[in-house]
Amino acid sequence: MEPPAVSGRIEAVAGPRRSEARFSDDPFRAVLRALAVLDPFRLAGALLFIAVWELASIFVSPIILPGPLSVLRRAATDFWSAPALSYYGVEDPSLAGNLAYTAENVAIAALIGAAIGVTLGLLSARVWFVRAAMDPVMMTAGTVPILIAAPFLLIWFGVGRASAVSLVAFYIVVILYVSAQRAALNLDPIYENSALTLGAHRGRMLRDILIPGTIPEILGGFRIALAGSWGLEAVSELLGSQSGIGKVLEVLAGATDPQGILATLLVLGLAAILTDGLAATVIARFAAWRFAGS
Amino acid sequence: MPTETGRRMIELVHLARNYTRADGQRVSAVDDVSLIVPEGEFVCLIGPSGCGKSTLLQMIAGLVGPSSGAIVVDGKEIDGPGRERGMVFQRDSVFPWMRVIDNVEYGLKCRGVAAGARRDVARDYLKRVGLSHVERAWPRELSGGMLKRVAIAAVFANGGEVLLLDEPFGALDYVTRRQLQDVLLDLWEEPGRAAPTVVFVTHDVDEALLLADRIVAMRNGAIVDDIPVGAARPRDTDTLLLPDMVAIKHALLGHLGLAHAPRPVAGEKGAA
Repeated sequence: MEPPAVSGRIEAVAGPRRSEARFSDDPFRAVLRALAVLDPFRLAGALLFIAVWELASIFVSPIILPGPLSVLRRAATDFWSAPALSYYGVEDPSLAGNLAYTAENVAIAALIGAAIGVTLGLLSARVWFVRAAMDPVMMTAGTVPILIAAPFLLIWFGVGRASAVSLVAFYIVVILYVSAQRAALNLDPIYENSALTLGAHRGRMLRDILIPGTIPEILGGFRIALAGSWGLEAVSELLGSQSGIGKVLEVLAGATDPQGILATLLVLGLAAILTDGLAATVIARFAAWRFAGS
Repeated sequence: MPTETGRRMIELVHLARNYTRADGQRVSAVDDVSLIVPEGEFVCLIGPSGCGKSTLLQMIAGLVGPSSGAIVVDGKEIDGPGRERGMVFQRDSVFPWMRVIDNVEYGLKCRGVAAGARRDVARDYLKRVGLSHVERAWPRELSGGMLKRVAIAAVFANGGEVLLLDEPFGALDYVTRRQLQDVLLDLWEEPGRAAPTVVFVTHDVDEALLLADRIVAMRNGAIVDDIPVGAARPRDTDTLLLPDMVAIKHALLGHLGLAHAPRPVAGEKGAA
């Protein structure tokens, strides 16, 4: 125990009070946390689902319900090369290429949507007229299923990238506007007051207080938006596009190929799960302070 | 003892602050308050809840604008918050997203002090408040008393000439409060540095008697008493039994609405 320099009167509280381990970034705990993702119950749930699927496929014709193994094999072969797709008019004859197209669109939409949604959401929580102007638009947009705008966007932007991206971006804007606004309204004003009395100027308030104080909640909203984005992007490609997972699903449905459809969905699902896991890891890093001490 | 050069550090000139309540009624939180605090003085503002003492402090901090009147700090009329007036709040104000050391450095960082230099200063003040061992901890890992130590270290590290404390220890238990009062006084009396001018809001009479050079009592938005506290430092619970201190305590209890028949000072038996 190290006595304080000034006086002996505060000796009673000097020295470690709680376990030091709690304050360090223990690698062992990090490994345990990573393993927790693969906990046996989740694994059992997934295995049970596959078993039921396999069992059902024994009794049902493979034209209606192909078995899980055949779907997995189909996904593996089609991933790099599926010449049949070019026959149906898909530009890139592989699941990988179309997945990349879809993923690019999701990524572009996520970047644009997050930038606009977070900026407007944070502003709306601190500037009354931004809130007055934006709230009616965002709240209305939040209650209407965005997919009904898809045919309309096709008229505006055609069958290229732009219509799918703008649809998904709009969806992300609405979700992030709401979560950023709520996060900023929930942030105790004492932090901004404290920063001001410590000498922080306006620019710092955004960088040091408003953004770090709200980012765990905003990223939580972003994760939800991202999960929805994959499906929305695929559906909008289904409605009119020359590439992408949605386009693949459309042509396979036209060719009555359930095995191909399930294989494509499997690839899309895995990509979405992978992205979600990545997002969760990033969030955990930014939100470490929130879960500290509990 | 602080060096009292007689220079005016804080000057409140006919200060008033009105609020309009939700029902439209106008309320006067602070009503025509004038006060001069010389450099290095430790002033306690005391009064019943709702007397306007917190509003007054927030106005000096620049977080609340006055309805009329002026606040002059170190010769300049203030217009908003500034780093020369550090503030410790009653509620936890330590940024939960910054580690303890980063919180203590924050004011210096805002001023552009180099990373190495500000870390040294922050380490020094963390040591003085007895928190060296939790330098890298997240605030959520600390107790309420430890968070107050971090907040105090942060304002002292920032080196403001004026320190404003708004019932900082009000939510703490008795033992922790006494320890933190000592921590605060040790930092305030730090040798080799001009003692900062302190305005400390409290509703605890004993706390005011232990800490203050001077106690200003407020009621209904106005100053009703202004009492110098002459007792030598360091003070302890025995100091509170001195006849002069008992007399002041009686006067203050009266201002807080706990009036009972005032006893003459001469009739008291001092403990010292």
